[in-house]
Amino acid sequence: MLRAYAVLYIAVLYVPILFIVLFSFHSSAALTFPFEGLSLRWYREALADPALLDAFLNSVKVGLLTTLITTVIGSMAALAFARIGGRLKKIFGFLSFAPIALPGLFIGISLLTLFSQLGMQRSLWTVTLSHVVITLPFFIESCRSRLEFFDLSIEEAARDLGARPFTVFRLVTLPILAPTLIGAAILSFAISFDEVIITVFVSGNQSTLPLYIWSMMRLSVTPLINATSVIAIASVILLVLAMSMILGLRRARARQQRHSRNTAHV
Amino acid sequence: MSPRERSGLALMAPAAGVLVFLFLIPTLILLVFSFWLSKSFVLIPAFTGENYMRALQSSGFIAVMLNSLKIGLITATVSVILSYPMAVFIVFKTRTNLFMYLVLASWFTSYLVRIYGWRMILGSNGLINSSLLAAGLIDQPLDFLLYNAVAVVVAMTHVYIPITLLMLVSALRDVSPDYIAAAKDLGAGPMQTFLGVTLPMINRGLISSFMFTCILAAGDYITPQLLGGRTGTTVGLLISNQFRQSGNWPFGASMAFISFVVFVALYFAVVVGFRVARLAPYRRYH
Repeated sequence: MLRAYAVLYIAVLYVPILFIVLFSFHSSAALTFPFEGLSLRWYREALADPALLDAFLNSVKVGLLTTLITTVIGSMAALAFARIGGRLKKIFGFLSFAPIALPGLFIGISLLTLFSQLGMQRSLWTVTLSHVVITLPFFIESCRSRLEFFDLSIEEAARDLGARPFTVFRLVTLPILAPTLIGAAILSFAISFDEVIITVFVSGNQSTLPLYIWSMMRLSVTPLINATSVIAIASVILLVLAMSMILGLRRARARQQRHSRNTAHV
Repeated sequence: MSPRERSGLALMAPAAGVLVFLFLIPTLILLVFSFWLSKSFVLIPAFTGENYMRALQSSGFIAVMLNSLKIGLITATVSVILSYPMAVFIVFKTRTNLFMYLVLASWFTSYLVRIYGWRMILGSNGLINSSLLAAGLIDQPLDFLLYNAVAVVVAMTHVYIPITLLMLVSALRDVSPDYIAAAKDLGAGPMQTFLGVTLPMINRGLISSFMFTCILAAGDYITPQLLGGRTGTTVGLLISNQFRQSGNWPFGASMAFISFVVFVALYFAVVVGFRVARLAPYRRYH
């Protein structure tokens, strides 16, 4: 009974998306049944617009830079939670959660006023900085519970054995936390790649992929939007898979190297 | 200060700096702006409550505010009711993570695309209308499906329900199935178990899940713009218009802070409501 409900719940979540995919292959311009036949014409038309590729590349650039910044400072912040306590921890916990408890609109307009007061030209840079404001809290929140209970005595043991702080981090802390951090980094990328509510306010002349789709949606309803949407969904899936493969591969390599180094010492 | 705390402080510094500079300070600037004036697109530094008075005296703003409260509350209620059985299933009835992954994956299929999907389904040439016309059940397309509050609620529920579910799941994970089994052994029915055992234990998570969904819905300006029409307008749309089209930033800022106060008040009203209804204990007992 409950299982049937769960299956229905998932099905309803995916139905609108399936309709979009189906009609992106429609041979006519109608977005209605009866379905007249399959065709790739809308994909051809979507890909013929050079602005789509520009928007896609801009989104990739912003997404990667956002992820890099978020991962570096977010990992440091998440590690900090195991080391601080009391009031400081409360204040920082609040500060790092507040941006996701507020609607994106609020963040968007307040960043817009900041950039205008500083006289900053709106560009992909302001978009990246703005994305960090929401990816960072998501990153910290998704690592925090696991990192808070990180056993600091393991690090102490390594230090007692004469390891320098950076070596401790590289050989002890990082390998233990890597899977959590990689997951959070991929989450950050996916959030940045899809972000539109804040981006509307802080972007300049250069469009991101969601902004490109939004400007299409405001003009008309045609299968061209469906094809572009499917391209967007497919690219986020492919990029996330690629990232997890690349990051996972590195991890495996690092483990391998460490292993071979250890055995060489013996 | 111990060396451990000192290293913690150093590790925290960059993130804290970013959040102070890009979140706290902008929020304060926005607050200051809400007391400024704007004359023909030029900002005039001032300290006046004029914007707040203007917003609170405008019947249009009050009407939209009430409308977004309605849309937010209905979206949150529907999302929580639909997600609760799903959360119970995920936490207690299944061992696989597959369902959770599928829900998360749907959350990452573009926000805009999912809204667009509803426009396709509900539009006057949409899937529902064209199917009903083809089946001969109606002669004219049903106009009431799109560009109103119902369309907005349907699309927002679909867009935000993964977050509602996620928060309910994490609340339910704290509930040991032993308590529920004990209640059953003592002869409690499902409703009694829910109200007397489960709800008091998950009340915080339940309220967070409800309020999170409600705030996301009321602050959303893209769904109302694409599907809302006249009855589906939210405060979010009103505020965003001030920052995009007509360009009275101070007025928009004051509306943002009024909404903020309204939703904080709503949060406390819900918390107090739960206590008065004796659905939440005054302190945690597990």
